[in-house]
Amino acid sequence: MWNNRRSVLLSQFCVLLFSAVLLAVIIFAYSLVEWLISFSQAQLQGTEMYFFSTIYLGSLPAALLLYSLFRLLQRISARQMFLPENVDLLRRISWSCFAGSAVCFVSTLYYFPWLLVAVPAGFMGLIVRVVKNVVALGVELQHEADYTV
Amino acid sequence: MPIIVNLDVVMAKRKISSGELAEKIGISQANLSILKTGKARAIRFSTLEAICRELDCQPGDILAYVSDKCEEEVLR
Repeated sequence: MWNNRRSVLLSQFCVLLFSAVLLAVIIFAYSLVEWLISFSQAQLQGTEMYFFSTIYLGSLPAALLLYSLFRLLQRISARQMFLPENVDLLRRISWSCFAGSAVCFVSTLYYFPWLLVAVPAGFMGLIVRVVKNVVALGVELQHEADYTV
Repeated sequence: MPIIVNLDVVMAKRKISSGELAEKIGISQANLSILKTGKARAIRFSTLEAICRELDCQPGDILAYVSDKCEEEVLR
């Protein structure tokens, strides 16, 4: 039977899956970049270092995002939702998205398709920011409810 | 906060303990402590009604309004 607990478990599994993908991208960055450059029709020879910079710089906010997401899901599974700590985690997730978006946006200078990552990442950061604002309000309401006698 | 809770004063006059009052009005001792120490953000009418019934008093005996200026002067 499908329930909330299983849904959270599935989300945690997905976060771990994405973490594994991120780790694989970091480990096999060299092969990936080599493959992309040989596969691409654009003249990308000599841009390998730029690609490595984007991948390694972008992996920092991505790792922070996945870690924060995992911690948030742990708290949700423990039924601890409206806490100031969760607001901080959502803020971190949002800023990670913006940081990743900024890295990809700068990378469009040498490879324009990075814009396809930069724009959705920025938009996702904006959505998470709105969710953070909602949860922050929820924390206030929870506090009010806890201290209503 | 400018609302002062004088519950402990009324309780002392009626010679009733926190545990006894909490049991009679149907709230936990922890919640009664929140109310007594002035940490409460709100009070339900049902709780206020139960307190007034058990302590035989008026809401004004329990709650009082003191303006911020008066509070500052008292603190000085």
